[in-house]
Amino acid sequence: MDETVAEYIRRTVLKIPRDEIKTMLQKWGFLSEMQLQAINFHQIKENISQEVVQLCEENCADIKQAAVLDIIYNHIYQNKRVWTVYQMTKTGEEMEFFDLTDFKKKFKRHLRSALKNVTISFREYEDNAIWIRIAWGTPYTKPNQYKTCYAVYHSQTPYVFISTSILKSNLPLLCQALVVASNYHDIRKIELRGHSLKSLEDIVFKRHSQNFQTYCPRPLQERNVAPEDARIIREDRSEKERIQRVNSEIFGDGPQPKLEFAQYKLETMFRRDPKMDVLDKKEPFRCLVKFSSPNLLESLKSLAPAGMADAPLSPLLTCIPHKARNYFKIREKKELFPESFVSP
Amino acid sequence: GMFTHLEMLERQAHEAALKQEEEEQREEKLARLKARVQELRLQRDQLQAKVDLQQKGQPGKEGAVSDPAQPSAQAVVEWKIKSIEAMLKLFYLTGISGKWTTRGVCFCISTAYEGTYLDFYYLDLLIKPEVQIHRHSIPIFIPLEQIAKKYLQTDIRRFLSVLSDHLNAYVGRRYQADQLQEHFSDQIVGTMQRNSLCNLLVFNYNVSSKSQTFQFNVRLLYEDPCCSLPTEVIVSATPDAPRFLAEVAAAHSDLLRHLALHKAFPSLRSAKGSVH
Repeated sequence: MDETVAEYIRRTVLKIPRDEIKTMLQKWGFLSEMQLQAINFHQIKENISQEVVQLCEENCADIKQAAVLDIIYNHIYQNKRVWTVYQMTKTGEEMEFFDLTDFKKKFKRHLRSALKNVTISFREYEDNAIWIRIAWGTPYTKPNQYKTCYAVYHSQTPYVFISTSILKSNLPLLCQALVVASNYHDIRKIELRGHSLKSLEDIVFKRHSQNFQTYCPRPLQERNVAPEDARIIREDRSEKERIQRVNSEIFGDGPQPKLEFAQYKLETMFRRDPKMDVLDKKEPFRCLVKFSSPNLLESLKSLAPAGMADAPLSPLLTCIPHKARNYFKIREKKELFPESFVSP
Repeated sequence: GMFTHLEMLERQAHEAALKQEEEEQREEKLARLKARVQELRLQRDQLQAKVDLQQKGQPGKEGAVSDPAQPSAQAVVEWKIKSIEAMLKLFYLTGISGKWTTRGVCFCISTAYEGTYLDFYYLDLLIKPEVQIHRHSIPIFIPLEQIAKKYLQTDIRRFLSVLSDHLNAYVGRRYQADQLQEHFSDQIVGTMQRNSLCNLLVFNYNVSSKSQTFQFNVRLLYEDPCCSLPTEVIVSATPDAPRFLAEVAAAHSDLLRHLALHKAFPSLRSAKGSVH
């Protein structure tokens, strides 16, 4: 077995938390059940990884199998990476018959025709997601397995989720290969990024909870209030109920997709009191507003009920899941209304 | 001198013109208001007449001629019940229900396959300035924009009907594939290749004949997005398989084209020659 492959497997196993190593190796399926039984998973990780490498030697692992282990790791710990959403467009209206083998063949062929030194691996998951792992090399060096790039593509949708490592120079090549393989015409980055891949998918596939008015009787929220002391009178009960209702209409009743930040780049004119001549020049006042939170949309949802903001919230904030973006550029609206507008 | 005199005359003329304009405007306004007063008086008289008629009709139930334009309360309730029943029947038949919202209408399309209720999908439409889709929960791989471009502005009933066909066919195909994977996993070899729209399925399955097992590969293509049965089925045996299996493969292919996947599968267990 190649030295580099052995080292790569060793380092990949070291990344995995000790309690998860066995399950991950089982998912990998490269080592037999008997071999797995032989490993002592209670020793320190250094030793576990050494044992795994030895067993892989016995089975003559090559880089392809090692790459699969890396995909499994990254699939389970997908939230460690930052994912950017790309959207593809096509001109024709033909019915798509997504053929996986065809896709893989075209993708590999296109990529390899431009750069011979690449490691390309695929793995399909149940939600029709295809995980593609690419390790880039150069025309003169072998692929660097430690600087990999992942692309997750859901067949018959125009969206691809890409997570690159530091080397971004090969991104155009990857985009082109994706477009060719999936029979689309063009690809562009949309302004949606985050750590939680599933939340990004929920937003673009519209799987997040939206509140639709229908006849389906929603079970009346039980007034599950603990029997309050009758001596306490809530003065603002109707206002609180209004806030709940408005919130429910805007955000829906389910859990919100997880986004870590929203960024607004303002290119608007500074609105000043004519008497307070702060800026003489009629230039847009450049300003960047960034909201960050472990779960931005949930925090926005709880602002009004907590009394920290008025309901309904500004549409600039609430449009994030509907517009599927969390990076905005706000420019001056050139018409009668003094409010600014959001650029596409 | 003369110029100042001319200026003064000009000014006077200007002022006179203004006064005249004001006068005209006032007269116009007066005329408008008078017309409005007439209108309101007429309305008042009409309503008064209605009220009088109502009051006359009330006490005299026996003998009084029931004005066909004034249906009794009971008839109104009956009519309401009938229309709700019709609405429910429509929903039962089409699976499409709608509700007026503040800015338009919200439709709910419920899908089913052969008696099993499956998913609900929602469409929130705005009516002004033109009919457009505000929000929806239609899966991304259903060609919603294409269907909307064709029918939404011109024939909303057709739009809903076509969309409902697409959705029902999709959930039907998905249901068949899911059922197959759930109940016949022992017969399927390896993983089944599917896609999001469930319009291409490729997998291998075992067929037993004379205490031997052979492996068939099947490729199901569903070209019609509104149909839950395949348009093309290719069943092939391995290259080294005995000759008689070709006939069996053809029979299987025929069966799969006409019968739902999970219903056809039990008959595919054995190679019993052609199945009619």
